[in-house]
Amino acid sequence: MTRPSRSLLVLLPGALLALALAVAIGSVNLAPAEIWAVLRGAGEPLHRTMLMELRLPRALAAFAVGGLLSVAGALMQVLLRNPLADPYVLGLSGGAAVGALLAMIAGLGMALVSGAAFTGALVSTAIVFGTAHGTGSWTPTRLLLTGVVVAAGWGALISFLLAIAPARELPGMLFWLMGDMANARTPWPPLVVLALVVAAAMPFGRSLNVLARGPQQAAALGVAVRRMEWTVYVAAALITATAVTVAGSVGFVGLIVPHMLRLVVGYDQRIILPASALAGGTLLVLADTLARTIIAPEQLPVGVITAMLGVPVFLWLLHRSQST
Amino acid sequence: MHFARSIAATALLLLLPAIAPAAPVAVVDDAGNRLRLDAPAQRIVSLTPHLTENLFAVGAGEQIVGASQFSDHPPEAEDIPRIGGYSRIDIERVLALEPDLVVGWSSGNDMAQLERLIGLGVPVYISEPRSFADIASTLERLGHLSGNDATGSRAAEALLSGVSALETRYRDAEPVSVFYQVWQQPLMTVNDDHLIAKAIALCGGDNVFGALDTLVPRIDRESVLELDPEVIAAGGMGEDRRDWVEAWRQWPQLQAVRKEQLLFIPPSLIQRHTPRVLEGTTLLCDALAAARAARASGNRDIAR
Repeated sequence: MTRPSRSLLVLLPGALLALALAVAIGSVNLAPAEIWAVLRGAGEPLHRTMLMELRLPRALAAFAVGGLLSVAGALMQVLLRNPLADPYVLGLSGGAAVGALLAMIAGLGMALVSGAAFTGALVSTAIVFGTAHGTGSWTPTRLLLTGVVVAAGWGALISFLLAIAPARELPGMLFWLMGDMANARTPWPPLVVLALVVAAAMPFGRSLNVLARGPQQAAALGVAVRRMEWTVYVAAALITATAVTVAGSVGFVGLIVPHMLRLVVGYDQRIILPASALAGGTLLVLADTLARTIIAPEQLPVGVITAMLGVPVFLWLLHRSQST
Repeated sequence: MHFARSIAATALLLLLPAIAPAAPVAVVDDAGNRLRLDAPAQRIVSLTPHLTENLFAVGAGEQIVGASQFSDHPPEAEDIPRIGGYSRIDIERVLALEPDLVVGWSSGNDMAQLERLIGLGVPVYISEPRSFADIASTLERLGHLSGNDATGSRAAEALLSGVSALETRYRDAEPVSVFYQVWQQPLMTVNDDHLIAKAIALCGGDNVFGALDTLVPRIDRESVLELDPEVIAAGGMGEDRRDWVEAWRQWPQLQAVRKEQLLFIPPSLIQRHTPRVLEGTTLLCDALAAARAARASGNRDIAR
């Protein structure tokens, strides 16, 4: 068995273990026997509520969000051929944030905040798509530049909204901007999107591999470059919008997880994409478990933890890869 | 046998009123929701410091099983198990305490979290007091929900009669212009919808930023200099931190600085919606009365 596919076999049980850990650990200590009783369908109603209505849906949602962001990051890095690309580099999270913050200032409920975030993400995508597309010819550099400038515009709007927001809304707004799993209810929409995206991307793995080497080579090898690039862009945008809608703008995962995997499993997108889904999901599940327990009963937004966990791991991998 | 059983039943019947005054209680909370409990709450979780304090004020302190961070008054409140900061509570801990009543604050707690608790079947009382009368009615309702109707009503009456005494005393007092500083960085004050502004009005004061649209507006120092209030009042980062109000001394051209009308009010006495707001209001009224006296005793040339 090749090394890359072997790593998938390591990542899958790792993900399941992380999910099990997330369900078993919380700010309230439940004995293993009590957890087992709930899993058998018995157990006290209180324990059942905690495991099945609080911890499990949140862990699954965290897994889906982490997976989506990592896959989106991997796709963006292929599309823009830029190692600094992440799911937010084209301004998508900024648009989502402006939508979400406006809804919060208006005092709307969580469902409408999510809807506004999704709308904002799509508006931002449309702006970048429209302006980068305007003159007919575009390059990844042009797309990147458009996205970065649009993101800066959203950044200014976010600062403005934070400055004028009523004080009572500020904690919620800051948690949203840092990325927070506390408001995730049903994990199914992001999980389904994640599964669909990974399944749909697999047949294009070879084309993506070629595209990552550059458009000329890809065109020479018979890839419809233009169509491929727009498909990747729209797919990455929709994936990111889904993730941001569930958890706010969780940083770091989408940038670093694909890089980590390249250091370990190489450059084959057919491995990178499913591995990103598993590794990104696992990272976010572990980060969120820490976020809700590390200084419990105080609750942290998960975005704080992702970078704290991810940075040392990434630096270690980078260091190792240079020395071998 | 039969006889013995009926004696036991009679004894039980006689005991019943003593051991279980389990009449249902119901109130309408500030969100307009009708809340009905089968019996007065015995395991209460309070999600903000001021509601913890109010529960103690109605004699339900012993019934609190969980409270948010900074629930520090009365001192016994410090010993209650914590359930997180008010802006983000630990729902898992709240559930683990198996509360029969949770009391929350719609402008401090995260509404999504309150809705979550309601969705999980926990009775939640949502509080949003904006006036002295609201605080009194909160005390009555909390007293009713916790089976402390008498103490609840007494606490409410004490607050209302204190307020009306101040009202009578200062009804015809000459207006004094007041700036109240809620926060230092950024500089924030209150408009006339805020409870603090109602305390200012009660004392015969005139809130210089009262007409602004936002409840807690951010303002600049320049506009304070321009409006030149007769009294500058402020809280601080702690119960004995006067640095915010002292910072105004760098502008000696302010009449409040020149005439020493800088008032520090411990923030928990006026920023928390509890019976102690009466103490803070009294401090404020005394200070405004002193400002009037200073005005009467001369300095007319520099007064506006």
